[in-house]
Amino acid sequence: MNPLLYFWLFLKASLLSTGGLGNLPFLHHDLLALGWANETDFVSAIAVGQLSPGPTGLWTISLGYLTFGWAGAGLALIAITLPTLLALVVAALHRRVETHPAVQSFTRGIALAVIGLTLGVAWTLFQSTVTEWRGVAIMVGALGLALSKRAPVVIVLGLAALAGWLLFGTTG
Amino acid sequence: MAYMKGYPPPRLTEILSAWLSIGLQSFGGGSTTLYLIHQACTTRGWLSEAEFAKAWALVQISPGINLLKLTGVIGFQLRGWPGLLAALAGLLLPSATITVLMTAGFAALRDQPAVKAAMRGVVPATIGLSLSLAIQMMRSPLTLARREGRFSVSAHIGLVATAALLFVVGRASPVLVLVLGGLGGMLLLGDGSLAQRGLHRLRRENRR
Repeated sequence: MNPLLYFWLFLKASLLSTGGLGNLPFLHHDLLALGWANETDFVSAIAVGQLSPGPTGLWTISLGYLTFGWAGAGLALIAITLPTLLALVVAALHRRVETHPAVQSFTRGIALAVIGLTLGVAWTLFQSTVTEWRGVAIMVGALGLALSKRAPVVIVLGLAALAGWLLFGTTG
Repeated sequence: MAYMKGYPPPRLTEILSAWLSIGLQSFGGGSTTLYLIHQACTTRGWLSEAEFAKAWALVQISPGINLLKLTGVIGFQLRGWPGLLAALAGLLLPSATITVLMTAGFAALRDQPAVKAAMRGVVPATIGLSLSLAIQMMRSPLTLARREGRFSVSAHIGLVATAALLFVVGRASPVLVLVLGGLGGMLLLGDGSLAQRGLHRLRRENRR
């Protein structure tokens, strides 16, 4: 395995995608073609990405570890972190023009679209993962706790895990 | 868009520990991480609601993992390059290490019924956290909209709903939704917008 090419494939995938599993199609295509990964690696890495803390995009690190050990995990980590520099450029460019009224209106519109996207992602997740009342109850409970700002997130998630274990543990 | 006026710039150790705590707590995927970053920045006075919304919107325009870009951009705004490194290291060190360790032990973990059951509870909770975040992010634009009048309030709600529908029903890419949202803003929101100019003209004509 050529580490430079390996790194480039990971970097390319993260430069061509936006977050989450967006880089999956690129890595899937390139690594399978070279025989550097198999389908099981992808399935396991995606599952770990869902379970482990942090953004879902960290599934890439799991894929790196499965295909190239600690070196792969390290290279994957660098590849997903580098695009941050581009975001700094965008932020700097925006700061130059942000006082212009048209830019302000544009930014306000984007901020609202972001809220719409947040709701859209929540809806998509809800449809694919919450199938009956137990899930709805946990969701509403977490929403209430979060809005009340009384409990830190780790408590909310801990209670949710406990509720999942109690409610789903026996029925599977 | 630096830290809010009246606050001294935070120390590097403060930035590092804030993001370490985010990295360690954000089980259940990106929704939790975003919620925690929002909470960490607004309660410390590092960003206002409006600044947070702007930063989150801006990082989505460029490629890469949005939460890492958000972390980098906020770290940079707080303390320049050292701030960026501290924030990214804080977020990534615990979560990347745990990700690798979990990968190594995954086969054993996957078949644990208790783990599966617990995750079935965690996922709906992260949806609840997302909804709470959407409500919190909506507060400051809505306050501004109320000051601007009824038209602006309806425009705000319409833009949010359209963006959600485009994404869910229209299966549009997030980048496209953001660009359309921005164009919608130029049409409907603020002094420079087409809608405001139209309203002004109507009022002037009514006075005559």
